[in-house]
Amino acid sequence: MRPGAKFILIASLIGIVVGSYGMFERLAYGLNPVAFGSYVPWGLWVSFYLLFLGLSAGAFLVTTLVYVFGMKRLETLAPLSAFTVLVCLLCEGLFILLDLGTVSRAFYQFFLSPSFTSLLTWMLVLFSAMGVIYALKTYLLVRGGDRGTVKLLSWISMPVGLLFYGTNGAFFAILANRPLWNSSLTPLLFIVAALLSGGALITFLSYTFHKDKGSSACIGTATCIDLGQVLKYLLILFLALEVMQFSVGYVSAKPNLVAVLNYIAAGPSWWVFWIVHLLLGSLIPLAMLFFSGRDPKKVALAAFLIVITFVAVRYDFVVPEFSVYPLDGLQSAFVHPRLSTVYSPNLNEWLVSVWIISLGLLAFMLGVSRIPVLTQSNGGKDHE
Amino acid sequence: MSRNPAREDPLIRMQADLKRALGGDPKAIQWAMVIDLAKCAGCQACTMACVAENKLPPGVVYRPVIEHETGRYPHVRHQFIPRPCMQCQNPPCVKVCPVTATWKNEQGVTVVDYNRCIGCRYCLSACPYGARTSDFGEWYTEKTPELKASLVGRAVAASSYENVPASEYGKKWPERNRRGSPVGNARKCHFCVHRLTEGMLPACVTSCIGRATFFGNGKDTGSLVCELMGSPRVHRLREELGTRPAVYYLM
Repeated sequence: MRPGAKFILIASLIGIVVGSYGMFERLAYGLNPVAFGSYVPWGLWVSFYLLFLGLSAGAFLVTTLVYVFGMKRLETLAPLSAFTVLVCLLCEGLFILLDLGTVSRAFYQFFLSPSFTSLLTWMLVLFSAMGVIYALKTYLLVRGGDRGTVKLLSWISMPVGLLFYGTNGAFFAILANRPLWNSSLTPLLFIVAALLSGGALITFLSYTFHKDKGSSACIGTATCIDLGQVLKYLLILFLALEVMQFSVGYVSAKPNLVAVLNYIAAGPSWWVFWIVHLLLGSLIPLAMLFFSGRDPKKVALAAFLIVITFVAVRYDFVVPEFSVYPLDGLQSAFVHPRLSTVYSPNLNEWLVSVWIISLGLLAFMLGVSRIPVLTQSNGGKDHE
Repeated sequence: MSRNPAREDPLIRMQADLKRALGGDPKAIQWAMVIDLAKCAGCQACTMACVAENKLPPGVVYRPVIEHETGRYPHVRHQFIPRPCMQCQNPPCVKVCPVTATWKNEQGVTVVDYNRCIGCRYCLSACPYGARTSDFGEWYTEKTPELKASLVGRAVAASSYENVPASEYGKKWPERNRRGSPVGNARKCHFCVHRLTEGMLPACVTSCIGRATFFGNGKDTGSLVCELMGSPRVHRLREELGTRPAVYYLM
């Protein structure tokens, strides 16, 4: 095992130990220890859920490019990216499960009394479909199974994936009382955000896992540069959509929408938008992709910056929407911390997040070291 | 004996309206509420009556009273707006529930099945009135000292209020604990359906000192509430969202 991998493994174990206290509190006291409440019903965990949702799109991007659009050069990444999606789905599922008020009931109530008018039901259906598709795909790619089946799965995963990422956007977009979310742009924004963050993760991994592997170094370098080009345009598209969102919002001058946009740009967590998202997660990576797009190390670094700062995008999507009271005056009508729009994640939320992310990291590292996701490069075998 | 509307307490009339409604066809009932803002004194008795009736824990409220001050001194107007659940006829909270834990009953009241709710809080996000709150398992007696005095001791306080099961939805909910429902669930005003079935008006109506809250069958043209719904002063909150609330305000 390389020193870097050993370090990540130890860090993930420490993360699990440290985060265990948060998990203990969560399991023993339910949602009582969290900082969110009734007027900010979703907080850090939903932001992380959305982050991992996006990261899982990396595999979707790679397998679609390879098997649907025929970019054979990326084929070496297919097993790794398919496995990454499984780990992302694990983290995503844990985040949303622990965010529920009654976790145990979720395991059977969806089957006993599902409501198909709710997009949350469809999200679960599509989440399960993605899980099955990518578990099969990982198995086939790692075992060098039938290429035709892998190709078929990739074709199936294209509409399923687009629906999955789009539905997650629509989940928010249909809420007519939420000025920022209630836009037909939201599902599109989600698809682009997912492809951008997921693509960035795969770009970073392609460089990290192939850089010292002899002959595969050239492959890793080439794929990293190729993906860097895709990332560049996705980042520009994403920023353009954000500009549209802000400019249309401000020009429309709807008071609630302007209040939400002001909260993002100049609220108590303004730095999340300006410094973490815009500077570190967008402008610096964009400059690196533009000016050093042929240097795989810098492309990988740009991708890494996009990935680790993307939670800021998700946080700024979820939390500011709740900064405005549904009715003016509710803030002083019945005073309690759970009935406030002032929110910042507390230690418990961070510890649980550390626990889940560390678990995901551990699963990923163990998988990479035990399952041959890096050595199999033919993306399945053709029929003879 | 003929009625003298000028002297009759609205509560008497509403009680008679309620009796008539319950004695007829249940399908001919559409519960509605009218709140006269000119009469509301902002005493919050309705808020407290609701809290006591439904044994609401800290952070859960069904009927807060919003205060608005408009104008400039000396021409200032103070307005109080009680905000129960609007019992929308087109409720955004119902269609987003993934497990059918909330629905409109036959009489138009949006109800919640605490034994189905998974606590995803999607309905909280969808409600344009902030009328749903989540039970985070808070206790009024949490961290209060255990004293021996029988009047102020924590155990006494808890046994006389916090540990008493609420009678919401006509069920005897088990003693509220850290895990069991309704802890972890979405909670909301339900027009005191458990009282209605017993022939009693909602707690907020009977506790209103200014007789500002009216309740009855909106389909019964002879009821007081139906009469008031036809007032030119009628206004509904955030009607532009198409929710069609069953709570009407007299401005």
